[in-house]
Amino acid sequence: MKYELVAGFETHVELSTKTKIFCGCTTAFGGDPNTHCCPICIGLPGTLPKLNRQVVKYAIMAGLATNCEIAEVAKMDRKNYCYPDLSKAYQISEYDKPLCEHGFIQLSNGRKIRILRIHIEEDAGKLIHAHGDTYVDYNRGGVPLIEIVTEPDFRSADEAREYVEKLQQIMRYIGVSDCRMQEGSMRCDVNISVRPEGSEKLGTRTEIKNMNSINNIVKAMEYEFERQVDVIENGGKVIQETLRYDDATNTTSSMRGKEDANDYRYFRDPDLVTILTSREEVEEIRSMLPELPEKKQERYIDEYGIPEKDAQLLTKYRKVSEYFDEAIKDIKNPKTVSNFIIGSIFRRVETEKDKEEFAVATSPKQLNQLVKMIEDKKIQNNLAKKTLEQMLDTGKDCTAFIDESDLGGIDDSALTSMCQSAIDSNPNAVADFKSGKEKALMALLGNVMKQSRGKADAQSVKAKLIELIG
Amino acid sequence: MVTREDIENIAILSKLFVAEEDLDKLTEQMQEIVEFADAINNAPDSGEEFDNINNLSNVFREDVVVESFPSEEILKNAPEQAEDHFLVRNHT
Amino acid sequence: MSIIKKIHDMLSSKEISCKELTEQYLSEIDKSNGELNAYVNITPEVALEQAQKVDEKLAKGEEIGMLEGVPMTLKDNMSTKGIETTCCSKILTGYKPIYNATVWDNLESKGAVLLGKTNMDEFAMGSSCETSYFGGATNPFNTKHCAGGSSGGGASAVSGNIAAYALGSDTGGSIRQPASFCGIVGLKPTYGAVSRYGLIAYASSLDQIGPITKTVEDASIVFDAISDYDPKDSTSQGRQKGLTYDTINNDIKGMKIGIAREYLEGIRDDVKEALLNATKVYESLGAEIVYFDMPAIKYALPVYYIIACAEASSNLGRYDGIRYGFKAEHYNGTHDMMCRTRSEGFGEEVKRRILLGTYVLSAGYYDAYYKKAQNLRGTILKAFNDAFLNCDFILAPTVPMTAFEMGHAVSDPVETYLTDICTVPVNIAGLPAVSIPCGFNAKGMPIGMQLIGNKFEEAKILNAANMYEKVAKENFKDTKWGVKL
Repeated sequence: MKYELVAGFETHVELSTKTKIFCGCTTAFGGDPNTHCCPICIGLPGTLPKLNRQVVKYAIMAGLATNCEIAEVAKMDRKNYCYPDLSKAYQISEYDKPLCEHGFIQLSNGRKIRILRIHIEEDAGKLIHAHGDTYVDYNRGGVPLIEIVTEPDFRSADEAREYVEKLQQIMRYIGVSDCRMQEGSMRCDVNISVRPEGSEKLGTRTEIKNMNSINNIVKAMEYEFERQVDVIENGGKVIQETLRYDDATNTTSSMRGKEDANDYRYFRDPDLVTILTSREEVEEIRSMLPELPEKKQERYIDEYGIPEKDAQLLTKYRKVSEYFDEAIKDIKNPKTVSNFIIGSIFRRVETEKDKEEFAVATSPKQLNQLVKMIEDKKIQNNLAKKTLEQMLDTGKDCTAFIDESDLGGIDDSALTSMCQSAIDSNPNAVADFKSGKEKALMALLGNVMKQSRGKADAQSVKAKLIELIG
Repeated sequence: MVTREDIENIAILSKLFVAEEDLDKLTEQMQEIVEFADAINNAPDSGEEFDNINNLSNVFREDVVVESFPSEEILKNAPEQAEDHFLVRNHT
Repeated sequence: MSIIKKIHDMLSSKEISCKELTEQYLSEIDKSNGELNAYVNITPEVALEQAQKVDEKLAKGEEIGMLEGVPMTLKDNMSTKGIETTCCSKILTGYKPIYNATVWDNLESKGAVLLGKTNMDEFAMGSSCETSYFGGATNPFNTKHCAGGSSGGGASAVSGNIAAYALGSDTGGSIRQPASFCGIVGLKPTYGAVSRYGLIAYASSLDQIGPITKTVEDASIVFDAISDYDPKDSTSQGRQKGLTYDTINNDIKGMKIGIAREYLEGIRDDVKEALLNATKVYESLGAEIVYFDMPAIKYALPVYYIIACAEASSNLGRYDGIRYGFKAEHYNGTHDMMCRTRSEGFGEEVKRRILLGTYVLSAGYYDAYYKKAQNLRGTILKAFNDAFLNCDFILAPTVPMTAFEMGHAVSDPVETYLTDICTVPVNIAGLPAVSIPCGFNAKGMPIGMQLIGNKFEEAKILNAANMYEKVAKENFKDTKWGVKL
């Protein structure tokens, strides 16, 4: 029998606010233990939470960017459970009136992943288990999170990969989170079940936690799919449980059951008041959202004739696309700019983090100036490429590397005499070309380019050579 | 009807131990309290959900960093601490 | 006469130095606290340091504020930086907050002299002060009787003249009931009028800090001083109207006083008689008494216990032995440590309320209890709103009886809960109410009555209370204890 995978995602995304959700402590990553803390975020008796306005705004932005409806009335609830990393023994979250609901993210295969809800909540502290004891650091306690919950709409690990990448991309674009899985600012839990293909009934699901990269998510899902199919095919039953993914062994294993029964006793937090969001506010926030990557990609392809693959590369990171947008101002053929970015510049910004920041020595204006020189036929592509490398090394304008003699084209008589001289000094190549070896022309072309010190336009040289050889 | 199992279950959720010998007494007391609370079961109400007492909304703070406390202060009242962390020894 | 004003005049005229006055209070505390058990923590260094500052100011010829140099006390559930704050629970022994409650920040900056922290029922859960880890405070009128609860220590201290005034907190009557038992004045402000920041929570949607004083005028002075908007408390609104002190002597002729018949059911005859006598006093002052029915308050008591215990079960989850306070000595594993710490650290009544609160919030019971109680909260609030369409304030007994003998309250939980029947509706509806003395029973124990106002109408009830006090002085009796000014 063939089986189908059914999966849903719960993704926690740390918001990029300056301060925590309920107090003024910094959200900076790391820091010495318990130095980003105050009476409120370590839950000292008598302290009260006060909601960070920016958290609500960022959550609404995330909701709008994922096609959600924004609740006119929302409220904060307490989720009660005792754990050493939770300083108040309850997490302030949203239970039955989340800020955002009913959104979706569309995948490239046309399928829509429905988003059930997005709500705001606080992160817990960090536990370090060493020498059998537990050390608690509350720096991360109270850092704002949004939890994005999807319907069980995934049918393959590839869809999951695309979803997570898209979610990351969107959140980074709108600037609400850096979504770094390694640093824990994006964490995914996946619910998985399997069912015979064609069946409508959902199987028993397991939940996988602890995957700190997209590759791990994919591997974990693939592993868990196979495992569940094996269990069923061997006549067993999948047990509903929470699993931990171990990337060293690429396996999932049952997490030690918490001592508690799971009854969170949600109730409205009496220390916080209602969150009302007017339709005007929603529209104002919507109007401030940057162009989302999907729209941008479409525009690059349709308006600029950028190949789809390149358009994807350009729009993956917001900074890159902004660089591109600025560099193509008044450029006739934006593809030239795109080629320079993807070819020359990307070689220098290799890591994801570097691309995210996209701190390039050459400004988009400087690149724009260089490409304009090509379009004005002042310099040739080859020279421009060489010049860009020098610009990237130094941060200087292109004019610093192009001297007077490089400028301007080569007139026809000079070109004719250079070509004639190349033909005269390479009789073998001429003979080869005449006998049908088209490649032989390259030797002649090289000779002319050398004579012109790269200034000659290769297309014109080729045409002239063919004309002269006859 | 409050049962012994109810009491055991809520004791676990409350992170409280209830001694075996106290269980019956506590079940009885809770039954009495719950019966007293049951008075509301038949009370007429509008069914309207209660908001917060003064109907306040949109009370926010701005996203401006306030200096945190030094970790010595944060850890000052900790029954046990080590290496700038709150410490929970696994057992004593 | 207002104790605070009297002290202010004595200090300003240099009849006595602040140091001498403070020492007098401290020495009277020394003498009487053994029997009254009003203070659980006396802070002479803090008090004398502040007194010295006041004296220096006076020596320079500077004017002082009304509360500057006045010796007072805080209930032990208000956070005081560097000063042990225990809620009279074993679980918080040794805990010294690293920040101040807003009310204390406020009063400290106004030059208040803190004599110490006063006794209370553990986490404010109780009606006699006897669930305190330190034993109950006794009643200055007769120390065989309790001071009431939960702010019993503050009421005992003020009644016994070992503090000029006290701050208490009122969740279901914890200011008004002990004030009534001890023959003094207790004001429970409108929810949101006084910041809760730093008040160790029992039930967040019901808790409110207020003054316990000898006279209505004192209550007005203190209330005006502490009712500021606090940006740290999302539910804070501050005093919405002018100073209550400005209108405290207004004529009350033509005021309509409502009496809800339900408040008179099941109360002792002597209490009922004292209340009816008070209506006559009010009539003689030109006020009109109107009787009406308010069936919704019949449900107030169970609604109160359900909501209060639900919130408490969540608020008290944090006492786990990790960050502050008591931690069990022997355990095996983190979970066991938490359970042992809580089981050893909390008293019986607190555990009972945590369990009840957990029960009403747990799956399967939430709708029948917590949700229903919340809905009824709206119904009760509406009943009060309707009542205030036809009267200026509501007059009601504070407690159905007078102070019980020590040891009486702890025996039967439900019976003890019934003593809160007259006080809890006010907390459920978030209204202001002031309890003032209105007579004595045959044994000489004080009887109190409460004036319940509409939201943020503290000025009106203090005005009416003050006018009563002026013509019913005999009900505001002093005790033999403490400092005689």
